[in-house]
Amino acid sequence: MLPDSRTQPDADAAPGSGPAAEAVVRLEHVAKSFGNNHVLRDFSLLVQPGQNVVVLGKSGSGKSVLVKCIIGLLRPDAGRITVLGHDVASLPHDALDQLRARLGFLFQSNALYDSMTVRENLLFPLRRQWMAHGRSEEETLVQQALDDVGLGDTADKMPAELSGGMRKRIALARTLILRPEIILYDEPTTGLDPVTGREIDHLIRDVQQKYNTAALIISHDMDCVRLTADRVALLAEGRCYAEGTYEQLQQHPDPRVNEFFI
Amino acid sequence: MSLSDSPILAETGAMTRFAGRFLREGLRPRYELPEFLRQCYVIGYQSLPLVGITGFIMGLVLTLQSHPTMAQFGAESWIPTMVSLTIIREMGPIITALIFAGKIGSSIGAELGSMRVTEQIDAMEVSGTNPFKYLVVTRVLATTLMLPLLTILADALALYASYLGINTKGVTTLALFTNNVLSGLTFGDVLPAVLKTFFFGFAIGLIGCYKGYHANKGTEGVGQAANTAVVVSSLVIFLLDLLAVQITGLLGLI
Amino acid sequence: MPADSTRNNVRLGLFVMAGLGCVLFVLFLLGRQQNLFSHSMMVRADFRTVAGLLTGNNVRLGGITVGTVKKISILNDTTVRVEMNLNSDVRAFVRKNAVAAIGTDGLVGNTIINLNARPGPAAPVQPGDILQTATPPGLDAMLGTLEKSNKNLVGITKGLREITDKINGSEALWKLLSNEELAANVSQSARGAALTSARLATAAQDVQQLTHDAKQLARGIQQGRGPLGYLLTDQDFAGQVDHAARQLAGTSDTLAATLTDLQRQVQSGAGPLNTLLADTAAARQVRLSLRNVQQSTASLRQSMEALQHNFLLRGYFRRQEKKKRKAQQKQAERQEERQQAQAAQQETPTPPKPPAD
Repeated sequence: MLPDSRTQPDADAAPGSGPAAEAVVRLEHVAKSFGNNHVLRDFSLLVQPGQNVVVLGKSGSGKSVLVKCIIGLLRPDAGRITVLGHDVASLPHDALDQLRARLGFLFQSNALYDSMTVRENLLFPLRRQWMAHGRSEEETLVQQALDDVGLGDTADKMPAELSGGMRKRIALARTLILRPEIILYDEPTTGLDPVTGREIDHLIRDVQQKYNTAALIISHDMDCVRLTADRVALLAEGRCYAEGTYEQLQQHPDPRVNEFFI
Repeated sequence: MSLSDSPILAETGAMTRFAGRFLREGLRPRYELPEFLRQCYVIGYQSLPLVGITGFIMGLVLTLQSHPTMAQFGAESWIPTMVSLTIIREMGPIITALIFAGKIGSSIGAELGSMRVTEQIDAMEVSGTNPFKYLVVTRVLATTLMLPLLTILADALALYASYLGINTKGVTTLALFTNNVLSGLTFGDVLPAVLKTFFFGFAIGLIGCYKGYHANKGTEGVGQAANTAVVVSSLVIFLLDLLAVQITGLLGLI
Repeated sequence: MPADSTRNNVRLGLFVMAGLGCVLFVLFLLGRQQNLFSHSMMVRADFRTVAGLLTGNNVRLGGITVGTVKKISILNDTTVRVEMNLNSDVRAFVRKNAVAAIGTDGLVGNTIINLNARPGPAAPVQPGDILQTATPPGLDAMLGTLEKSNKNLVGITKGLREITDKINGSEALWKLLSNEELAANVSQSARGAALTSARLATAAQDVQQLTHDAKQLARGIQQGRGPLGYLLTDQDFAGQVDHAARQLAGTSDTLAATLTDLQRQVQSGAGPLNTLLADTAAARQVRLSLRNVQQSTASLRQSMEALQHNFLLRGYFRRQEKKKRKAQQKQAERQEERQQAQAAQQETPTPPKPPAD
């Protein structure tokens, strides 16, 4: 079921990408500001294949800006972002689209197309990327993605008929249907009740194990961080303030780090 | 955003740039044909009942209103000519465009605004689709091409209603009515009137898309986008109409 | 979804076809009306003024649209050349001697060109021919004429009024008409004349008898029968008789002439007297012409009123009305004076009576 030829759990190997890229996402001295608001000043981070990295930060610390820079929705003012061996900022439009097909992005607000049914939502990226050939193949992929998130029977519903947690799952299914190599999660548990949030956290873990994807997770929810993170990076003052495993940061002496773990 | 001297000028400039982007992106492949056809269906076909009823009532009322005055001058036989000229040259395009702006301009503004606010536009871009092409180009093209068709059908319905209206006060045959209408019409009446509706449609689609595409965050932004889309496009329709009458005057078509 | 989208596409297609069909239909009708699709032939005409004619205006022959104006250009300061396209199927009916005139389609309608045929044989027009033109009077000229005839009419009615006033005021005429004595005299003289003529006839008979007797006597005498015969053959006596007879004849001739003259005067109605006495036809004619004058003034007033209500000429008539009001005031004053004069006159003349016969 899962294409295990694509990635390996070994952290240092980066198969399929350029020879220089041992990390799937490489952020070097990224800066981004909106007017006088310097959101990112000097941020550097590496994401290894098959690894879940959580970027932790307070609201308004520029976490969402960071992922949007990675996916190419925003262009950094300075610094370099390399994704799967490609410099995102310098890619032409078509190549950027091709690169994006290998990335998944789970929006904070789910961003389900509310004029379409769940099935059409899932078919949209599939058709746009010319991934499927023939209706039966499409149908198989849709059903599989829905089964992956445990909502196999919602294909003909409209997004508005679903609960918040179900919508998050459908959004994840829409991300998964293209078999991304990296998934970017923008605040996956925000706005959900703790129980549903935990379900989503487990789902993120399941996806990582099943498809062996790397993930960059933006969050300020400590439950989510604890359950999903292989590594945690703390974003503060526009830079990577601290980095390590959950436990390492929990023991960190700096009070600015500590305040998250209270 | 830094302060600009005049928000109206800045807005105009931004909108002009938006229009330029529309032309650039619209000409380049890939072409979103199925989505364009779907938009044509939604924008054109589904507006037909509203526009048709408006046109029908417009023709009927114009006829019944002008009847007493024309009868006073003994010029009842001029009613078809007068009504048809009024409808084809001015009332048809303007009323249809305003109704269309109210229905389509606001819906485009609200739809794109909510897509912007709920990050659907970003989602589209992330999933390898150029949202400008997929959302804006198709909609603007659809409004540009559908409004002239709607105007023509509204004109036809209005003239038919005028024929019925005349028959409530007297008796006219359809043949005589048609001859009366045609006797007052020239290409100089029909062509500029049809031509300007393309511009009306373009303006409505463009302004709706611009306002929606650049909607502010939050639900308030969506309502504001829908509202300003209607207000601005209605105003622009009148400005374009003024421009059209000047140009046709310069070309000697009046 | 695919079935649905196909159905939607079908509906969209129908919608688009309907719209395009409508506009194509109208454009085709307009094109046919402006002869874009039929073969046409260009002829020209030079006018002094085209009175606002526009490209695309109709050209009519016998009231039927047979073409349109294609081009209007100024040749020089007094000549405007109009090129018009005529349907080639009417070419046979437009002759070389046809006259083109600028006209209007109704009072406020479009300017058009009327082609009028003229008597006399001529060949059909050829493409590029220049037609003769006539310029009918414009609205200004028409109004000018109307003004003039209006003035004339005022003069005529004034004259008529004076005549009637004079007739009413003339004592001599009324005396003549109402004098019974005169009529009696006339009838008496007529009776006298009749009597005289009867007597004359008897006298003539007597004379005839006498001459007959005389003839017989004379024959006897000529034959020499007795002394009387001799007497009668005497030359002097015969001369005397002859003279008397001739005088008698002359008198009767004069009488007859006088009589016939009188008779003619009374019966044939040549004299002024008789016109007043006997000619009903003349009287009727006078009445009729008076009524005609009345009617035409009424209809003139009506048309003036209609024109006044016409919004185009409203300004003109408003000025006119102001003028008229001033004139009326003056007239009213004058009329008052005249009425006073009439009242003074009417005390003397007798009212008209039907003449006795």
